[in-house]
Amino acid sequence: MSADPEAIRLTPAVIPVTGGYDGRAATTAVKVGVGQAAAAVARVSDRGARIVAVTIALVWHLAIALPAVLAARTQLAVPQVVLGAWLLVAAVGLLAGVRLLRDAPLPTPPLVGLLLAVDVAVFASVGRAQLFSPANWVWGTLAWFFLVVLWGRPVRWLLALLAAHAATALTAVTLYDATGAADLARAAMALYGTSSLPVAVFAGALMLGLLLRDRAASAAASNVMLAEREAAERARGERRDRLAVVSDAATEVLTELAQGRADPSDPDVQRRCVRAAARLRRLIAESDDVPHPLLHELRAAADLAERDGLSIDLVTIGTPPPLSVQVRRQLVEPLTATLADERDWARLTIVANPDEVVVSLVVPDRAGPDATGGQPDQGDGQVEYLYERDGEIRWTQTRWRR
Amino acid sequence: MDADALASMTPGRPVGVAIVDDHPVVVDGVRAWLATEPRLTVLATGDDPDEVLRAAPEADVVLLDLRLHGRLVLDKLAELSAAGRRVVVYSEHSDPPTILAALDAGAVAFLAKHEGREHCVATVLDAASDRPYVAPALAGAMVGDSRPDRPMLSDKEREALLLWFQSMSKASVARRMRISEHTVKQYVDRARIKYSRVGRPAATKAALLARAIEDGLVRPEEIGIYRSQASAEWPTP
Repeated sequence: MSADPEAIRLTPAVIPVTGGYDGRAATTAVKVGVGQAAAAVARVSDRGARIVAVTIALVWHLAIALPAVLAARTQLAVPQVVLGAWLLVAAVGLLAGVRLLRDAPLPTPPLVGLLLAVDVAVFASVGRAQLFSPANWVWGTLAWFFLVVLWGRPVRWLLALLAAHAATALTAVTLYDATGAADLARAAMALYGTSSLPVAVFAGALMLGLLLRDRAASAAASNVMLAEREAAERARGERRDRLAVVSDAATEVLTELAQGRADPSDPDVQRRCVRAAARLRRLIAESDDVPHPLLHELRAAADLAERDGLSIDLVTIGTPPPLSVQVRRQLVEPLTATLADERDWARLTIVANPDEVVVSLVVPDRAGPDATGGQPDQGDGQVEYLYERDGEIRWTQTRWRR
Repeated sequence: MDADALASMTPGRPVGVAIVDDHPVVVDGVRAWLATEPRLTVLATGDDPDEVLRAAPEADVVLLDLRLHGRLVLDKLAELSAAGRRVVVYSEHSDPPTILAALDAGAVAFLAKHEGREHCVATVLDAASDRPYVAPALAGAMVGDSRPDRPMLSDKEREALLLWFQSMSKASVARRMRISEHTVKQYVDRARIKYSRVGRPAATKAALLARAIEDGLVRPEEIGIYRSQASAEWPTP
């Protein structure tokens, strides 16, 4: 058949079809990626904020609180408690920071309890003289540790904890009898000054995460649309090209018939007519925007066989469900050998519903050995294979059941 | 038009066929297929169903191209079927939804145009005696039917339809299902009869059903199951 001019002219149109482009698979992959992309963006942004929070807490604790405590050690009422509490909070900060950066869950309630206990203990043992001095380190540092242990929780938890911290501080101020206007103003300033920044960082990180997640999701969704559109356009372009080629072939044979150059009783002319009609029918039947990978593979196989001069009917009933590559291979491969070997006619049918896909190939039976390459690998037994020849037809059928 | 058309066929007289198609070349082709069978005679042809039937009111079977002058004439099909005309639809539109819509509208059989040469004569002969004829395209449409109100087919009926659609050889189906060819045809025909309960009522559907019961293809009580979808206006066969 290699001398058939029509077969030769078909070549350019068939190449892109058999190029293995798989639009549906591509868009499915992108679709799966939408959620992942959004989550990944949010995770990266949140990780940055966590590092910031942990660093601020520990640096403040080490660089500002510790020197102040050590310098004023002798003037503290119970220096051991203030220093011990400092060590305890440093340990809590380290542990929580490491777990936070590793995405490991934190035992929040016990840590919150511990920090509140430290708050009370330090206020109680700092003494009247150092109440408002930097040596009373809980004023400035503790809010940052609240932030670290409450990371990822709702903002109201942080507000509640800061309120408890303020209550502790005000109680201490009252009990130390530091109720002069200047002292109260100092207490209010300290509370406000040390709470507002952690709240801003905490709420800001939360909002930023949500915003980024949203933005990433919509960006990924529009990517899916673009990919789907591109796949559909590509499929449409392919079909347009094939239609042009098939129309040319049909026009050629019709023109020859009209001009009397071709004889309708010539079996070869009849075959050309049958083939042109089958191809046109097949193109008309392809109504899907983005072909299912299984149909794509079978159409590509049919196109290849057609190029060798085979007259092929390909009929699809129903839409196949998503199938693994393995299942698709088991459905298609046993048929392609027979198809490639056939030169006369073939009927290729696909009947699909969500729970079952049956692919069947019928070709005329003629003398000679079976060209199927034997029974294929049965795999996990999800795909049943049947082959028989009865003198009239050779019938290959593969069947997948959910 | 009245239900008398159903009874107009008498044995010994050739079956009268009217062909409605808007492409003269197709009319000639169909006429050539039918000419091979002496039991058939073409009474009238044309592109307007009403005109053709005025010319040949005694036609036993109407072969109707579903697409006339650019539009699908499902409404005309329903009108003819309701009036008792045995309409065999043939069309290049062989997608399952169109085929099932034609059955619902009362077509006694459906032929894809490319199936015509092989199946046309047998389809018309069976249609004339109110017997079902299921060509492969129709079998495919029934086996792929996923509408919620579709008839319930048995596993064997479904398998017979599927294999017939795939292989187009009843002998091969019989061998694969390990039953006789006659039984294959019974399964396929029974599936088709179940479809006479779907869609709007039509005299032709009642006639198919009556003949199926008469032939022992189905029992009345088997059909009763499908009555739930049907209205009380069913003409009694």
